[in-house]
Amino acid sequence: MEEHKIGVYVCMCGTNIAKMVDCDDVVRTASEQPGVVCAKTYKYMCSNPGQEMIVADIKEQGLDRVVVAACSPRMHEPTFRKALQTAGINPYFLEMANIREQCSWVHDDRQVATEKARALTLGATRRVANHQPLERMSVEMCPDVLVIGGGVCGLTAALELADGGNRVHLVERASTLGGNVARVDLTAPYLDSARDLMTALVTRVEEHKKVDVLTRSQVSSLEGFVGNFVATVETIWGDSASVSQFKVGNVIVATGYKEFDASRVTHYGYGKLPNVITSFEFEKMLRAGRVQTKEGKLPQYVAIIHCVGSRSKEFHTYCSRVCCMTALKYAQEVKSAVPSCYVSDVYIDMHAFGKGHEDFYRRGSEAKTLFLMYGKNDHPVIRKAGPGDDCEMLIEVNEKLSGEVIEIPADLVILMVGMEAREDSEAVARLVNISRDKDGWFIESHPKLDPVATTTDGIYIAGACAAPKDIPDSVAQARAAAGRILARTIRGVIDIDAVFAEVTEDKCSGCRVCNELCPYSAITYDADKKKSSVISALCKACGACVAGCPSGAIAARHFTDAQIFAQIEGVLA
Amino acid sequence: MSFEPKIVGFLCNWCSYTGADLAGTSRIHYAPNVRIIRVMCTARIDPTFVLKALTDGADGVLICGCHPGDCHYSEGNYKMMRRYPLLKSILAEFGIEPARVRLEWVSASEGQRFADIVNDMTQRVRELGPSPVRTALVQDMAER
Repeated sequence: MEEHKIGVYVCMCGTNIAKMVDCDDVVRTASEQPGVVCAKTYKYMCSNPGQEMIVADIKEQGLDRVVVAACSPRMHEPTFRKALQTAGINPYFLEMANIREQCSWVHDDRQVATEKARALTLGATRRVANHQPLERMSVEMCPDVLVIGGGVCGLTAALELADGGNRVHLVERASTLGGNVARVDLTAPYLDSARDLMTALVTRVEEHKKVDVLTRSQVSSLEGFVGNFVATVETIWGDSASVSQFKVGNVIVATGYKEFDASRVTHYGYGKLPNVITSFEFEKMLRAGRVQTKEGKLPQYVAIIHCVGSRSKEFHTYCSRVCCMTALKYAQEVKSAVPSCYVSDVYIDMHAFGKGHEDFYRRGSEAKTLFLMYGKNDHPVIRKAGPGDDCEMLIEVNEKLSGEVIEIPADLVILMVGMEAREDSEAVARLVNISRDKDGWFIESHPKLDPVATTTDGIYIAGACAAPKDIPDSVAQARAAAGRILARTIRGVIDIDAVFAEVTEDKCSGCRVCNELCPYSAITYDADKKKSSVISALCKACGACVAGCPSGAIAARHFTDAQIFAQIEGVLA
Repeated sequence: MSFEPKIVGFLCNWCSYTGADLAGTSRIHYAPNVRIIRVMCTARIDPTFVLKALTDGADGVLICGCHPGDCHYSEGNYKMMRRYPLLKSILAEFGIEPARVRLEWVSASEGQRFADIVNDMTQRVRELGPSPVRTALVQDMAER
């Protein structure tokens, strides 16, 4: 094997790695390996000084292979590849050893964690010696965008993109645009009308020359890859359906949420007690301008119960974020509709996290709303009042702050139902090839640093389909996703990984086993030469053909047998 | 000191490797015996990878891919699923206990599941003791 000059860089990641892994020890072991000419630790390898150190070493010591033992390659592989490129060597001469996510963060014995980090680093060191120089490929980037979901998030994204000059196909399952926000009366905390807000958005979208709106429609398939997807959409017209197909470069998934089904919580009597209603049913009342009981009477006592389906062991453990402020809004709206009404607000904790929320909470307190705190998993109990009571229902609350059991009257009870992932989220995830978390929300590429991208290039998620969100956050994400796409499409081309399969013609026996194995029909067969070959632009580098070839004639670039064998030897050495 | 097995893990990039990363970001602690090697898809796993790991001294091999139906390449995991019984029958011929080689589905959101699988497999292989391949190789070296 040719001689290499390998540099090994072990990141301490502050104390994230150094606390559980003896980084100096990893460096010592690595420096004893053949070909390793320099091995170092540093506090933060991904920082500018860290990268500059690697670049300087490559230039000064003539390194031609680099190992970075640090976080997951899913996190910083692009960063360090760029550093190699800056230093003037092929970016694929890098290999990362994942000693944070898959080592220091998951073990509690420093000695064994260090031993594992040594093994992983050794695996990377052996592997990198076998790396080949690869060039990235440029393919055309279609500027058109598919936006799935016509709620506040999808509409905002569509407008942002269309204003930027890109054609947008906006697909909405329902017959009208607007989504859940269109069902709301006023918005907290500034009490703007949701209707005005949505009307303006919907009108602009419908009139925009660059937006094709497809209502009563569903995306039935999405094929291809970033820059070159082909979407198939089915539209229902009365009894018949039509199918349209178009090319797009990127996709924004903005499918939103659905409200929690209150009848699943049996102790609140929803569906049995006529005057126990959900927040969305109350919005409907507000929009109609009538706050009243089912019997048509003005309520004397209104109770609002928080966290229905949220923050509970039984249903969803997460907070739905918008309900606290919406509940405060209801208290104000009830008071202005029925000034003599007593409002009680029964909550677990008041989450007033956003801009203007604390002030809104204070105003609510000053408006003489009765606040009662209940314990998580110690929910209030609603029962029908007796003939002697001057109210419809009685609510028993084990009030946490006073420590007393308090009974409050109610004529109307509003359940603040939480948000949950739509029942079709699994199908949508499968359609666009993204993942969901345990609650069914779509998973972002990185929860902090890359919130609207996904692990599938060209697929973006925005709004409440990724987790409960309020309107400002959804709008911000819509614009973020649109901005990301605009920035990418402006170049007109996209660089894709140079990782694909290659057939060595001499070894190919023409058996055509690989032709059948390829899920992308990326392998063609030349009947005259009796040889198969890979169309690199179509290959997605899964490697199925490589493992399937009985002659060993196909190589997976960057995942060759030699590279993986060397890594196996390294991790077991 | 009790026997601590060495296990090589081949994880697909899209679901299982991401799931293992999630176990990390969620700080779910598990046994340190598995050394992970990333492949793009379980369909890339040539049976020779498994044999190579065993002959190089691994006491077990763990293969993790996307759940059926969830493959990034639509059906790569089904290809692995079909190769796996063949591989297992070859290993049985060599006298390698079935529990030493294991195929599991781990999605990107199943950090806990990945940790549970690693713990369970480590325990099972620990009970089996060192791989017969490793023992035979050591013996062979001694006789030379």
